[in-house]
Amino acid sequence: MIPQLRAEVLKVRSTRTTLGLVLGMAALILLFVILTALLTSVNEMGQRDQQRDLYSIGSFAGLFAALAGIMLVTGEYRYGTIRPTYLFTPKRSTVLVAKVAASLVAGLVFALIGEILSVGVGGVILNERSISIALTHHDYWLLTIGTLIGTALWGGIGVGVGMIVRNQVGAIIGILAWGFVIQNLLFGLAPTVGRWTPDSAQNGMMGMTDSHLLDPGPGAVVLVGWTIAICIAGAVMAARRDVS
Amino acid sequence: MPPAVRAESLTKRYGTLTAVDDLSFALEPGTITGFLGPNGAGKTTTLRMLLGLARPTHGEALIFERPYAEIEQPALRIGAVLEATDFHPGRSGRNHLRTLAAAAGLPDSRVDEVLRTVELAGAANRRVKGYSLGMRQRLGLAAALLGDPELLVLDEPANGLDPEGVRWLRDFLRSFAGSGHTVLVSSHVLAEVAQTVDHVLIISRGKLVRESRLDELTAGIGGAVRVRSPQADRLREALEREGIEVADASGALYARGTTSERVGEIAAASGVVLHELRVEQSSLEEVFLELTAEKQE
Repeated sequence: MIPQLRAEVLKVRSTRTTLGLVLGMAALILLFVILTALLTSVNEMGQRDQQRDLYSIGSFAGLFAALAGIMLVTGEYRYGTIRPTYLFTPKRSTVLVAKVAASLVAGLVFALIGEILSVGVGGVILNERSISIALTHHDYWLLTIGTLIGTALWGGIGVGVGMIVRNQVGAIIGILAWGFVIQNLLFGLAPTVGRWTPDSAQNGMMGMTDSHLLDPGPGAVVLVGWTIAICIAGAVMAARRDVS
Repeated sequence: MPPAVRAESLTKRYGTLTAVDDLSFALEPGTITGFLGPNGAGKTTTLRMLLGLARPTHGEALIFERPYAEIEQPALRIGAVLEATDFHPGRSGRNHLRTLAAAAGLPDSRVDEVLRTVELAGAANRRVKGYSLGMRQRLGLAAALLGDPELLVLDEPANGLDPEGVRWLRDFLRSFAGSGHTVLVSSHVLAEVAQTVDHVLIISRGKLVRESRLDELTAGIGGAVRVRSPQADRLREALEREGIEVADASGALYARGTTSERVGEIAAASGVVLHELRVEQSSLEEVFLELTAEKQE
């Protein structure tokens, strides 16, 4: 297990894919943080919910962690490296667990960068605009833990999705369509159903204020449940399907 | 000794298509076997099943008498290359090998050793996208060699190689097998492996059509060893004394039912100078085509 984990971490580090994702993520988070922090009126920005929204922009890291997880699996199918990978480790569940573990670690790194950018840069701008912080320690704690754990779990979800879909473009389009369209529609139109999605579960976990969201504890449990379920589905598919 | 590789009624169906049809064979340790058949005969599917990448519909695919997936640390016993292109283009050759070495618990120093073996040390830190096909073939081979395996399984390793690369591969396989290791190498061109292998498995449409020693195949079909010598008469006598049928044509002798090794040994024992010694490829190729053609209506 440890040798396979070392192999997967090395795979993550040894192409420019990860760096590209981190840069894309940093650019997107910075853009939204700066626009939100600068363009929202002083009055509004002084409110606790507004500030929570601003600082939660770092959780965009989850999407990029999921993409990294997807690439870690689908890249192997796309370039055929899945063959040597399985020749060296024929127990496919071991490969999957190693990939999930590597993606959890990568997700934590993504989340840290996202947090530093949103809370750090956002905080500096609020300070420059002489807006006092309305968030409590409890709010900070939920935001930080929710972003870190949530983003890491998204890395694991990405691996599971990759194992199920295998096709790189298909998996990426799928996760983007889910994150930007389907999940929003679901939560908007049918919040009693939509709050159980992984995205809404993470929002609940981060203490976001929307009466329809789950509380932080249940939110965390639901997100962990999704991650495990998707990864188990991926493991079952990986074990059953031939590698061409 | 138990066989290194064994297929037992091995069958693979994709819907109504039977890619591999009730295939049974066994490879002795220490042999080099050419796994031959036209494109689409089921060679790659068979290798995938042997290597645990595809699941047989029926029958067994065993390596060292166990299914591949049940072998502990398989990379330390078996090296395999299925495609010459299984690399992430943005990863360096060395890092590709390091990821595999890590999974097998091997040190990075082993990576540098195999890079030297396949003569890629100079390009090790370049990204694979800049590699020629020949370099990729050698990088794939390096990965297979990481665990210092006793069995090498190669699928069409000569595809796309230039003549120099083919020769390099042949020399490499000979020296690998010379140390008692086992090789299974597939090809759709018999001539490509005829100088390397000592056994052949010929399949067509998923069925085994011939399993034999290469020299038996040569002998059985009336293939000949072509030999030229300034002392042709003495050589002819020596060969005939050994019970080998010899024909004379256009300034060369054709020894039937034997191997080039045997003719060379007899010549050496009789102190005869040879100017040329080779197996007539055309006759081998003809029989190969014949064997594989009769299966296709």
